[in-house]
Amino acid sequence: MKVLKIVPERCTGCMRCELACSYEQTGAFQPSKSVIRVSAFEGHTSYSPYTCPQCDEGWCLTACPVEAISINAAGAKDVMDEACVGCKLCTIACPYGTIFYDPARHKAFKCDLCGGAPACVDVCPRAAILYEEAEVSDWVGPFAAERTHGPGGALTAEVK
Amino acid sequence: MAKRHVIVGGGTAGWNAITTIREIDGGDSEIILVSAENPYSRMVLPYYLSQEIGEAHVFTASETRLGALGVETRFGRRAVRLNPNDNKLILDDDEELAYDDLLIATGSSAVRAPVPGADGANVHSFWTLDQAKEVTASLKPGVRVAMIGAGFISFTILNALIKRGADLTVIEIAPRILPRMVDDAGAEIVQGWLEERGVKILAGAEITSIEDAPGGGKTLKLKAGANIEADLVIMATGIKTNLEWLEGSGVEVNSGVVVNDHLRSSDSNIYAAGDVAEGPDLLGDGKAVHAIEPTAMQHGRVAGANMAGLDTAYEGSLLMNIVDVLDLEIASFGNWNDEDAEVIQIVKKDRPAYRKLLFNGGRLVGAILLGRSRDIWMTNDVGMLKGLVQSGCDLSEWKEHLRGNPFDIKRAYLAVGASGSLIPETLLGRPSVPERDIAVQS
Repeated sequence: MKVLKIVPERCTGCMRCELACSYEQTGAFQPSKSVIRVSAFEGHTSYSPYTCPQCDEGWCLTACPVEAISINAAGAKDVMDEACVGCKLCTIACPYGTIFYDPARHKAFKCDLCGGAPACVDVCPRAAILYEEAEVSDWVGPFAAERTHGPGGALTAEVK
Repeated sequence: MAKRHVIVGGGTAGWNAITTIREIDGGDSEIILVSAENPYSRMVLPYYLSQEIGEAHVFTASETRLGALGVETRFGRRAVRLNPNDNKLILDDDEELAYDDLLIATGSSAVRAPVPGADGANVHSFWTLDQAKEVTASLKPGVRVAMIGAGFISFTILNALIKRGADLTVIEIAPRILPRMVDDAGAEIVQGWLEERGVKILAGAEITSIEDAPGGGKTLKLKAGANIEADLVIMATGIKTNLEWLEGSGVEVNSGVVVNDHLRSSDSNIYAAGDVAEGPDLLGDGKAVHAIEPTAMQHGRVAGANMAGLDTAYEGSLLMNIVDVLDLEIASFGNWNDEDAEVIQIVKKDRPAYRKLLFNGGRLVGAILLGRSRDIWMTNDVGMLKGLVQSGCDLSEWKEHLRGNPFDIKRAYLAVGASGSLIPETLLGRPSVPERDIAVQS
């Protein structure tokens, strides 16, 4: 299956992925409505996007009591608005923190790989997000571990 | 002859067991579902009450759908006796059903506080669809509702009651509201939030009787303080497991039907799942009844897999709840009330925001989150807290940082590799299949 492969070393923190994602998903250029989120490390000198790994278990999919989450043609777990009642069970079941909830619409939403043409990949100027055949992996973990230790990392002041 | 599975109970656990059996055997067995009610999702009843969804939206497994899955039904029937020696289940119309294996998924029922008048007119429970219909029909703008019990169930319908125009008073016998979901600090914030928005709350209040008032209303008398006048009383005073029918069966029962990590009871061809089952606890060596929807779903799937002949072990259930009341989000995970845990917490009363992280060594074992909906969903680390509890990743070196800023969960989550440790995890050792995609061979 084609997945979103993240290469954090290339990310500049430009937030274009968040803007494109929110526009594609909700029609608004509003990073807070994006389902890909950029985290800052080392005092905002390095960055990485993070989004749904489209995990095999599909914690959101199995948690939904009204079968409002299905698998779309791109293989992504996808919330069907008309079926979602907004109970938020998926948000506490998903251990990745990649199910989102819109309190204004009372609906859950998540990365659906834009149906097979991910907007975040299109707009990334540094190819830090790729859409390709790969095993689902923790693309960000090792980078985040490295960038939270050492000079400027969140743990530097507290940990020797 | 094909193996015959009998499923007792058509709720979340039973339905998930059925779809899992069919996912695995493709129709190569007999399944009989005994269900007193037509199967529906209890989780969505609050949205039916608020009239955001119609009745059709609540049903899960219709006769048509079950028929397409090759499932025979006994709807409107209750199991009255189980005879493991003969592998027979006896129904309330005296039908005897022989089984090769059987799933006990009879769930739980609402219980009413033992107060004179608790079974009187205009006093309702909110647990089954029929009860939800009664309450829905009784609501109109301005109706005075006295809700007895300030627990999770009560709070799931609070928004709907307000939306429907109810004038709401909540009465809780425990000293604080949400006694089984948040601690004192959390309860204080929630109570303040609701009172500022016009909900009257009486905690630590004991009702001595519920009487008919002149003019058709109800009068609730309290041990201390003034009477409460209401048009409608809703009792959300807890639930009990539906175990009575198992008396004399010899199946081992404690708080629920005791099951092992394969969801098998003391009889190896009798399984139990959901609210009625006492199964492995993810956070300890013991067993627990976690009467929540996600546990019922997982129990049902694991039991179904084993009934279909796979050898599937269950790691255990994790207690978790989330509910919002008038745009205040409240969530808790795991051992949020563990008195021996090392606690990191922060209270911001004005915002309001509260979070409590509970550690056993470097391991996060529980959490409470509370805040305005728009804040909580902006941060969106609810699931990451669950992932940290579930994965058991070592947060030792992050504890001091989190003590200074318990809101910076995301970087800790990423850096300890929680995501990487979770990716290989599946409940049944294979990718999940959406229930709607499961079909039987024709």
